[in-house]
Amino acid sequence: MNDTPINPMQELWQQQPVEGTHMSIDEIRRRASKFERRIFWRNIREYVAAGLSASLFVWFSVQNQNTLFRVACGLMIVGLAYVCYQLYRRASARSLPGDLGTTNALQFHRAELERQRDFVGHIWRWHLGPLVPGLATFGAMAMLDARAHHVHPWVAFFVNLFFVSVLVLAWKFNAYAARCLQKRIDELYTAEASE
Amino acid sequence: MIASEAIPAKPTSRKTGEKWGTQVQDELYEEAASSFSSALERLARAYEADPDHRRDLLQEIHIALWRSFAGFDQRCSLRTWVYRVAHNVGASHVAKQYRTRPEALVGLEELESFPDPHRREAAADRSIALNKLLEMIQKLKPLDRDVILSYLEGLDAEEIGEITGLSARNVATKIHRIKNILAHFYNEGGRSRE
Repeated sequence: MNDTPINPMQELWQQQPVEGTHMSIDEIRRRASKFERRIFWRNIREYVAAGLSASLFVWFSVQNQNTLFRVACGLMIVGLAYVCYQLYRRASARSLPGDLGTTNALQFHRAELERQRDFVGHIWRWHLGPLVPGLATFGAMAMLDARAHHVHPWVAFFVNLFFVSVLVLAWKFNAYAARCLQKRIDELYTAEASE
Repeated sequence: MIASEAIPAKPTSRKTGEKWGTQVQDELYEEAASSFSSALERLARAYEADPDHRRDLLQEIHIALWRSFAGFDQRCSLRTWVYRVAHNVGASHVAKQYRTRPEALVGLEELESFPDPHRREAAADRSIALNKLLEMIQKLKPLDRDVILSYLEGLDAEEIGEITGLSARNVATKIHRIKNILAHFYNEGGRSRE
């Protein structure tokens, strides 16, 4: 405890009115299990969304007789499955880590930022990249089929260009977010190193 | 209720040990909640301005605290443990909001160099002064926020170092800055009250 005379702002701070929130042990237990359930259902929702997307591609491939189209759908399903696995491994909704009391604020904050940086910094490797083979096959098929369907190849080209731009933008945005996080991590390293 | 300094010895059998663990966890939580509930409420207020989200954050802090006591190793005081958990939950809450906008938060250095021109008016009234103080704290980067909150709660430099992980010298520099900022804040308000 600080032995120095209390600063007027400390007094102002410590004497501010509070609501006096109290939670009994039973309430804590109930809320903790409710919190866990919420996380469980959030994860389930993610898997269901991925499952629906995969089913959609299965349905598309059953409806369409074009081999290249079926290959593209298959590649998309494999890509989505890989993305889901990585989402589960890296970033599925989780409760707070259990070492909150043993880790000081600096270590805790840095670890959280590093986890987030790795998540967004490697997005190409685990999120965008796995979808590229499927998307590229769809793109190639669109170019090849354009003439057969009396569509000018340039139209197919621009549609493909649009999808490529979306991927590049997503990559650039995440790379920017990773740089922002790295800047904050560096600040924390500097704060820790300065004596 | 038990004092954290006098945790009973752990029984040898596994089943009794588990029961003992849960009992100690509950009792430690009860003790922490009765001693620090006001401080935790003030802390949640400094991390979240919106009353509904603040209530959620406070609950999250209480749950995290209760859970954390399953691993309380007595290597630090109960008080340091409670503040560590609360600050870490608070920082995690702030990190979610400012993932891609680190520039939205400032450090103590910036706050000291560029005082808020509205502070004079702000500190004229006690409740307005408190709101403005909260606004100022909510603008701070997580680590600086931890230091100023610990200082306002009356913790000494050693305890602040234990909670934040900053060196004693670093904490001393930050406290010096905080005192300057707060003195400026208070004195300007004092003049305007005259």
